[in-house]
Amino acid sequence: MTSPASLTVDVRLELDRFELAVDFSLSQPVTGLFGASGAGKTSLLETIAGLRRGASGRVQLGDDVWLDSKAKRFVPPEQRSIGYVPQDGLLFPNMDARQNLLAGERRARASGQPIQETFESVVELLELAPLLDRDVRTLSGGERQRVALGRALCSGPRLLMLDEPLASLDMPLRRRLLPFLERVRSELTVPMLLVSHDPTEVQALCDDVVVLRQGRTIARGEPREVLRDPEVFSLAEDQSYENVLPAHLLRREEGTSIVRLGSGESSIELVIPRDDMSSGEVLIGIPANDILIAPDRPGRLSARNVLPARIIEIRPIDRRALVTADLGTGIPLAVEVTETTPAELGLKPGLDVFLVIKATSCRLYGEGDSSPEPNDYSAS
Amino acid sequence: MTDDLLHVIWLTLKVASVATALVVVPATALGYALARWDFRGKRLVSALAGLPLVLPPTAVGFLLLRLLAVDGPLGRNTLGFDLGLLLTWKAAVLAAAVMSIPLVIRTARVAFEGVEPRLEMMARTLGYSRIETFFRITLPLAGRGLLAGTLLGFTRALGEFGATVTLAGNIPGQTQTLASAIFSAQQVGDNSKADLFMLISLAVGFLAILGAELLSHDRRSSESGK
Repeated sequence: MTSPASLTVDVRLELDRFELAVDFSLSQPVTGLFGASGAGKTSLLETIAGLRRGASGRVQLGDDVWLDSKAKRFVPPEQRSIGYVPQDGLLFPNMDARQNLLAGERRARASGQPIQETFESVVELLELAPLLDRDVRTLSGGERQRVALGRALCSGPRLLMLDEPLASLDMPLRRRLLPFLERVRSELTVPMLLVSHDPTEVQALCDDVVVLRQGRTIARGEPREVLRDPEVFSLAEDQSYENVLPAHLLRREEGTSIVRLGSGESSIELVIPRDDMSSGEVLIGIPANDILIAPDRPGRLSARNVLPARIIEIRPIDRRALVTADLGTGIPLAVEVTETTPAELGLKPGLDVFLVIKATSCRLYGEGDSSPEPNDYSAS
Repeated sequence: MTDDLLHVIWLTLKVASVATALVVVPATALGYALARWDFRGKRLVSALAGLPLVLPPTAVGFLLLRLLAVDGPLGRNTLGFDLGLLLTWKAAVLAAAVMSIPLVIRTARVAFEGVEPRLEMMARTLGYSRIETFFRITLPLAGRGLLAGTLLGFTRALGEFGATVTLAGNIPGQTQTLASAIFSAQQVGDNSKADLFMLISLAVGFLAILGAELLSHDRRSSESGK
């Protein structure tokens, strides 16, 4: 792959109900564009891709100026070297999966990429081998998105743009596809711009997040930090917060699996439902409203995880409060309680407490399991 | 009799084929423009392109005749030379082309409108220029519809009568096609000849329209999954 180049965007674009006005540059490998639907995220992507005209300002990747309205410069989309993955895949129905994957072959060659090697590694990475000769109209939702992602990767992109790549899928399928995106992220060096309104996706994949509301940037920064911002929180798809933590799968016991959060001295063990598919590095999702908080160590409980923690901060959010506590792993865990709970329990920053987490509240976003998906022809 | 017959069939197929060949590219291009572009006067162009469908064919033939007459805008007096079309097989081609072009434009437009524009955008991001996108994505996806439309135009040209007799006449051995041969045979009371021509028209027309039907039907069934 070509060496990563940074993207600078400073554009204004008149939309139906508001003006899109953003100014940011990407410095991290994966940047999220987060916001409710209708915030202007897709319009922004299309402007960066050159698919939508009419924006004023400047778009630049590395030394290449793609848009400079003052100098009347507009580079057409086919010369921008973008790998675009839309929500609905947009596979070409007149080609089979292999032909789709190779649709951008010519540009990949022009960019000096060894297309055969790229193709083979993408097929392996995304587990596409069984799909290659399929008619793309018969692919399930998840298979379709994997082919669409593969097609973008095989086209020699200098920038990947994913527009809610998992949004058309149902929850279980999203969880199953997330690891594929994880792999792309960790194994390739192409910078990625990911549009999402799913906080889990953003936490799992992004190093940096830009939050859009009504065409404006309202927050920017490290995802876990930004997503706990009350203003940002309320934009989430289902207005709930899920902690997503990197973890290491240690061992399996009867009915449960044990994972380690953090590393070295400060690491802690967490009991989760047994999982036979994954191994090694995984992501653990714990919904903020599934965690209990106790000022004193609770007695006998059915919950498997009782973890000592220290409160870092308490933020009121729309008749609720989001308490952030540090498990000593350096990774904060957000706990959702009712508005009055902090006062009733005397919770305040610096206080040592215990967090109670049922094993069954923990979800595992494992390494890709290759078991066949249910035939979800209707997933779109 | 067989020579006459063969000549009529041969001339009919020739006129319809040449007319279709002349029409298919401009009609497809116009269909694409109407489907994909917004331009000033689009409605006007669309209405004009559909006009031959609603006019009496003899009116279209007579309009063409006035244009090509010696003192017409495309006549010898204006151009300074004679196009030499009137009362020849070329006039029959012109009449058939004008009468069938609206059908081809319309079906082409519908075929192009059926192609998801976002697929074309997708192709652009993969490095295809506008022209490559048209030939590699749009055209293959609209292909069946375009073929069906062309076949429909061909059948329309096969059966053209009103505009053809007005512009090219009904000269046996020169401009007499199946349609005008049936008319002539019926006029002189030669029912067996008229029957024969009628049956031949029936067979040719049926095959063509069946082909068009199969093309559009096949597309539907393959889209619903194999």
